Amino acid sequence: MAKNDLQGSLDLLVLKTLSQVGSLHGYGIVLHIEKASNELLSVEEGSLYPALHRMEQSGWIKSEWGLTETGRKAKYYRLTASGRKQLEVAERSFEHLVKGIQTILRFA
Amino acid sequence: MAFVSFVKRIFNLLTRVRVEREIQAEIEAHIELRVEDNIRAGMSPQEARGDARRRFGNSALIQERTFLEDSSLIFERLGSDIRYAFRQLAASPRFTMVAVASLAFGISGASTLYSVIQAVLIDPFPYRSADRIVHLHLYDQRATPRDLLLTGPQFLKFETFPDLEGAIAEDRFSEALTGEDLPEQVQVGKLSLNAFQFFGVPALIGREFGPSDSQQVAVLSYRFWKKHYQGRSQIIGSSIQLDHQDYTIIGVAPRRFTWNDQDIYIPLPYSADARRIAGVYARIGPGMTHPMMERKLQPLLDGFAQETPDNFPPKFKVHLVSLNEIAIGEFKNVLVILFIAVSALLLLACVNVAILLLARGEARQPEIAMRKALGASRLRIVGQLFAEGLALSLAGGLLGIFAAVAGIHLVSRYLPRGTFPTEAEIALNLPVLMFSAAISVLSGIGAALWPALRASRSPFRQEAGDIFRVVGQMHVRPDYMVFLAAQVAVTLVLLTASAAALRNLWQVLHADLGYDPQNLISVGLTLHDGAYPRWPDRVNYYERVRREIESQPGVVSVAIAEGPLPPVMLDSAPFSIVGEKSDSNEQVLPLGVSPQYFAAMGIRLLRGRVWSDSETVHAGHVALISEATRRRYWPHSDAIGQTFVLNHGIMTGNVWTLVAPGNAGQYQVIGVVADSPNQGLNEPVMPAVYLPYSMVAFDWFNLVIRIQADSTTLLHAIRQKVYGIDSAQAVGDATTAFDVLEEASLGRERFVAWLFTAFAFLALAFSTFGLYSILSYLVVRRKREFGVRLALGAQRRHIVRLVLSGTSLAITAGIGIGIIADFGCSFLFAQWAHGNTRDPLILSAAILLLTFISLLAAFAPARTAVSIDPIQAIRSE
Repeated sequence: MAKNDLQGSLDLLVLKTLSQVGSLHGYGIVLHIEKASNELLSVEEGSLYPALHRMEQSGWIKSEWGLTETGRKAKYYRLTASGRKQLEVAERSFEHLVKGIQTILRFA
Repeated sequence: MAFVSFVKRIFNLLTRVRVEREIQAEIEAHIELRVEDNIRAGMSPQEARGDARRRFGNSALIQERTFLEDSSLIFERLGSDIRYAFRQLAASPRFTMVAVASLAFGISGASTLYSVIQAVLIDPFPYRSADRIVHLHLYDQRATPRDLLLTGPQFLKFETFPDLEGAIAEDRFSEALTGEDLPEQVQVGKLSLNAFQFFGVPALIGREFGPSDSQQVAVLSYRFWKKHYQGRSQIIGSSIQLDHQDYTIIGVAPRRFTWNDQDIYIPLPYSADARRIAGVYARIGPGMTHPMMERKLQPLLDGFAQETPDNFPPKFKVHLVSLNEIAIGEFKNVLVILFIAVSALLLLACVNVAILLLARGEARQPEIAMRKALGASRLRIVGQLFAEGLALSLAGGLLGIFAAVAGIHLVSRYLPRGTFPTEAEIALNLPVLMFSAAISVLSGIGAALWPALRASRSPFRQEAGDIFRVVGQMHVRPDYMVFLAAQVAVTLVLLTASAAALRNLWQVLHADLGYDPQNLISVGLTLHDGAYPRWPDRVNYYERVRREIESQPGVVSVAIAEGPLPPVMLDSAPFSIVGEKSDSNEQVLPLGVSPQYFAAMGIRLLRGRVWSDSETVHAGHVALISEATRRRYWPHSDAIGQTFVLNHGIMTGNVWTLVAPGNAGQYQVIGVVADSPNQGLNEPVMPAVYLPYSMVAFDWFNLVIRIQADSTTLLHAIRQKVYGIDSAQAVGDATTAFDVLEEASLGRERFVAWLFTAFAFLALAFSTFGLYSILSYLVVRRKREFGVRLALGAQRRHIVRLVLSGTSLAITAGIGIGIIADFGCSFLFAQWAHGNTRDPLILSAAILLLTFISLLAAFAPARTAVSIDPIQAIRSE
């Protein structure tokens, strides 16, 4: 059984975003998720940071201070090799979950 | 425990501020970015900020939660791992104590002995490029070489020889320290003026002499300066009188400058006088080997031999001897063997810790698998076991370092004097200590991680499945078998070595000395240069000294001997029997003595008689022979009345050595005495002959004095007597017969025996605990199985057999390997020789002891196994 919960899907969204965009700060991640999901998903902004720091401790992402387009200092996150692997695992288990839930919904 | 939390708190304090500030900055940046976007979308600044804050949520709470993510992963986790590790270790104190003690003993033993070897064997001398300083020996057919002696002009040629980096000339004398209360005999080293430049060791205070100095200066040795002047620095510039000659003290040599153990160093008057000869030391050029240098020097020395044939043997080969060889000699082999033994011990210690941790890890496999299944990450489990290994290794390492400091004090106190150069300074060698500590710590951590890696590799079902399985593993894992066998093998070798060394010590202690060392002392007297140059005067002076001292209260008897007390080795001389075909290789050990020698020493007269005082002063050609001599040359008769020829090599004599008038070198045997050791205590006694000392009267002699009891004032009384007879002469320090025995070999034998015994018992303890822990964990693991077996009616002996069956193979194999290793090592022992590890008695005793101890170690686990309550065992898991 795949391990899944809300936290798991936030991780997945962040990893996917970073894999698509490359390097991004927390605010940028929030904006990207909203835009890419056609405003279907909105991230609770504050809860993003504990998740980012936990993923960094797990070695999935790396952070670096950099400048935004407007010249403001912000912390940029980037995917690591093990983060890329984790993304694959998370994607697969999410598909699994979706498939399982769909099956149940269909027969219910 | 308090220490860990303290460190953690400090660590957090230092980093918390930094981490929090960073998180705060990151969150602020987020909000500011949102504010910027809002303003761009047309909000007022106040509106924009309010919206940004609302969207973000409670920033203080978020900040706290983010910080916890960071800290719990770095500090909290590390802290809790270490705390957990300590708790785990404290929960099994026996395991912890054994593991920590193993590491500590391993580290301290190895670093102590490595340090001694470094100090004594590898780098003992303070002199510049000491490894290239050599002494020159000349070999002819005789077993004992002669020293190279050169005249002044020869030395000048020798000194500048290409491929040599300089040379020094040296002569040693016993001289009388005069101009004080009572004359005292001191050892004076006369060195060529370039000597101190050659050695390159600066003076402790004042200065040393150099080529521009006059002949009347003196440099004191540190020991003499401390003893005679109580270390006063004001003595620089004052004068000292040697044999009534004045010298100015210009400096004191540093403590480690003890060249040939002299008291005072003065310049050697090396004039153009061709009769003045002195010994030489040279430093060979870098990159030159001894054989290469010997080939180059041979023609030069052959030339010298033609100039002064008296100073050279007829046909000789030059042989270079490095300083270390002179100083250490045989003891080197002993140190090498000890080095091997202690390395084996360090290995054992590491293996033991590995066994303990593996057995523990094995027992914890189900626990680890369970925790993994419950969601602990692989990193977390490895980290936990790592923390445990680290805590264990650090504790062992720390204790080991303390023990090494103590060990080095012990060893430097008990290391027998006279077996290593006095220049050597024994101190703990820091790199060596770090090295052995690192090895032990690494092995500890490695062994701790092994089960962790194994557990994290294997899927859950396989490991955790054991919990539910009734029959546990039937066999001990092969890696334990190998470790256990290795332990047993090394232990066996160390046990036999220890037994051999102990037996050797016992033999030395109980050796038939042939004399009585109790209440026996010897005092040396050297005539000052050229005193009593006529033979009758010299003999009369000697006789008078002897008689006067014998009349001293507290003295039982006094004899004169032209040699040291036994068992110090004497020089041999060619020997032949008159009327028989002579074989030039026959050698005996001659010793010139006065007739009281045998009574004073307590040497038994077996046959015939001892010569009289009148025969001494009239140079009677008589001799006593030892029992060994009689057995060798006159096996079927009592030898009395027979005549032999002894070639002393000195027939004409010189100013120092006076040959008795009419000495024909032929002696009639008038008696036979018991043997006493004359080549050290361990070697067989060589044939010896005793002659009247007057036949060849040297300028020095020893007084062998049998005293009534230990008397401290006796030496002063003797000095006064000697002063009373002739105020120019002085006696040296007193040596007891026990001192001589101790220095000759007892000290060494005792040192070796103690060290080996300590090693052997440590090894035995290691393997006992290794076996015990393996069996204990085995029993714990198979508890359920044993319970079922017992419930089904298995006999207790079946259970015991099951417990023992796995390890008995390893022990048997270990003993087998040990016996083979023992045979392999026996040639090493043969070098210092006196111990024989192949002795079947010793070997079987060692095997018996090892087996007995193994059974003892197995007893407790076996008892646990048979006392398992079946019901409880089956229910409990």
